[in-house]
Amino acid sequence: MHKKIQRIAAAACAAVLAGSMLTGLTAAADEHYDVYNYDRWEEAIPSQAGYMATRSVSGDDLGIGDFSEPSDLFRDTEDQLYIVDTKNNRIVVTDAGVTKVIRVMEEFTMPDGSRTKLKAPEGIYVSPESGLIYIADYSNSRVLVTDADGNVQLEVTKPESELFASELTFLPQKVIADKAGNIYIVLGNITTGAAMFDAEGNFKGYYGANTVEATSQVITNYFWKLISTDEMRSRQARTVPTGITNFDLDDEGFIYTCTQSTSQKKDTVKKLNPAGNNLFASLDTSWGDIQSVWDANTSKNYQSMICDIEISDDGNINCLDLTTGRVFQYDEEGNLLFIFGSTSEQLGGFTEVSAVESCGTEILVLDARKNTVTVFEETDFGSIVHEATVLYNDGYYEEALDPWFRVLQYDGNYRRAFLGISAAYLVQGNYKDSMKYAKLADSPYRYNRAFEGYRQEWLSEHMTQLVIGIVLIIAGILVLSWYVKKHHKPNAEYDLTKAAPREEE
Amino acid sequence: MMDLTNRQWVRHAVTHPMEGFEDMRWKKAGSMKIATGIVLLWFVAAIFYERLYGFQFYTTNDKMFNVIPFIVQTIVIFLTWVVGNWSVCTLLDGEGTMRNIYIYSAYALIPYIASIYIEVLLSHFLIRDEMVFISAVYWIGLLWSGVLIFSAIKSVHQYSVIKTFVAIALTVVAMMIMLFLLVLLLSLFQQVYVFFYSLYTEAAYRLKV
Repeated sequence: MHKKIQRIAAAACAAVLAGSMLTGLTAAADEHYDVYNYDRWEEAIPSQAGYMATRSVSGDDLGIGDFSEPSDLFRDTEDQLYIVDTKNNRIVVTDAGVTKVIRVMEEFTMPDGSRTKLKAPEGIYVSPESGLIYIADYSNSRVLVTDADGNVQLEVTKPESELFASELTFLPQKVIADKAGNIYIVLGNITTGAAMFDAEGNFKGYYGANTVEATSQVITNYFWKLISTDEMRSRQARTVPTGITNFDLDDEGFIYTCTQSTSQKKDTVKKLNPAGNNLFASLDTSWGDIQSVWDANTSKNYQSMICDIEISDDGNINCLDLTTGRVFQYDEEGNLLFIFGSTSEQLGGFTEVSAVESCGTEILVLDARKNTVTVFEETDFGSIVHEATVLYNDGYYEEALDPWFRVLQYDGNYRRAFLGISAAYLVQGNYKDSMKYAKLADSPYRYNRAFEGYRQEWLSEHMTQLVIGIVLIIAGILVLSWYVKKHHKPNAEYDLTKAAPREEE
Repeated sequence: MMDLTNRQWVRHAVTHPMEGFEDMRWKKAGSMKIATGIVLLWFVAAIFYERLYGFQFYTTNDKMFNVIPFIVQTIVIFLTWVVGNWSVCTLLDGEGTMRNIYIYSAYALIPYIASIYIEVLLSHFLIRDEMVFISAVYWIGLLWSGVLIFSAIKSVHQYSVIKTFVAIALTVVAMMIMLFLLVLLLSLFQQVYVFFYSLYTEAAYRLKV
């Protein structure tokens, strides 16, 4: 009897639990990894998932045989998705949802009519203006520029230019082309930036090189070089920056580069203007994971290595971290929005990520080891944050107020929401609440702005009281000192002139 | 002449940088109680400065508060100053006793400590653009206290100006040596503790098995 009651109670509890799981819990509970974000003190804190893995697609699912070490993804303006299937020497074009294959590009027709095949292609770009397809054909040491039907318009090979040293190899890994048709190519083994070619395929020089970070070793080397002989110098390790790994172009023509490096912390993500200046240089964003993680098993320090960067249509920056298999999404100002993905066997986990691409509300991640494309779908939380962020960044602070409050309902730790609310109240002239939310956001800067307004308001409201108060206090002091003078017997307090002469010691 | 109460002496010393401490020495004035109170007020001021500063200027991580650094930065530093100065100046024919050095140094700190309180208060009324007022208060307090410290050391030991400078410089060196030895001592004690603790765990393990 007793046991029966227990069993019924247990069943009831389980039912209640299950019910609450179905209704009460939000998206984060569904992910197999801990979803986190960083707070103002750069400490990892739990957060809500902005994206959730919904499915992963292999080549087999598409009916064209498995991919083999695919290395790049690209979505063109007509929402076709290009998958660079490196070891199968082909390019697979699918629809945006990665559900069906539109065509497979393997062979191309050269301008002279001959046929040519790809050999381990690693990068692709489709120009939104001309519709031309740019393919970085790695093992053939060339970049093919072709139209959608496979007719090659231009073949860029190793330049016969004085600017390009002849002993250098020409191994194109990634390629993009700007509005003017200039072609930028990331070359393997080249650290001086992306090679830049004009629309006719003439070599123009390098673009967007990284600078050498002034680490202690670099500085020591510099001093050694000052005093060492030429022979010693030739045997010394040269100080070279890490070459850029990948890049992308946004709608306004800015080029974003990323650098995959364990040693370099500076310049891992750059936003370059046409002159090659880094617009993110003054930003204090640390791209990827802020703290490196020590792994005792392998005795290694795991540090983020950004291997791909992608700018979505609404300006968000998606950075792909090779080390942890995570995608870090930033808004256009470099504020961290979401972190998602992991290294694992489950859906949403990766072995060796190679490319990231956004597609409306979806984000696609390519895994070169699992040979799949994983589709992440934006969650409710994600869409609200995006809505609020876009409004906020465009300066519509008041309009963003409501979305920010809804963000807080999902995640009360989301700092940017507090900042946004504070900014909105400031615009509305509600200084007191603006101060309150600035304090919650831990932002002295915002608090200062709100406090300035609050003080102004307070002073103009209380001017009369203030003046009366000051007058009363001064009068009080005067009366008091007069009273003290009259009733207090003076002692020798400060009359040092009357002090007795000092005795000689 | 100069029959001042203890409190009047404080006021006299602080407002007369040149001869205030000489007068105090001459009248053998100064109270240990007041001096100790001043040092404790300094300690409180340091905490106020960290915790109660106006939010618009800067903010500290609430999760990281620890009182030990504040004790070290105020009380411990002050005591090492007193002991260090006494040790150095005893060798340099100084006439000050430890008690007098303690009292005079504490009195000399008053403008600096007061400036901290005023800064904390001002930080709640000013905005970032007006920060110059706060730094003005800070520098006035600091310089005033610096002059007073100099005058205090000069009077308490009956030194010449140059000798006072030398004595202060040597005191700073002595303070550093003392702090270094203190840290060394602490870490040694910790190692001894760890040693005995591991002996204990080892013994406990043997007994159990």
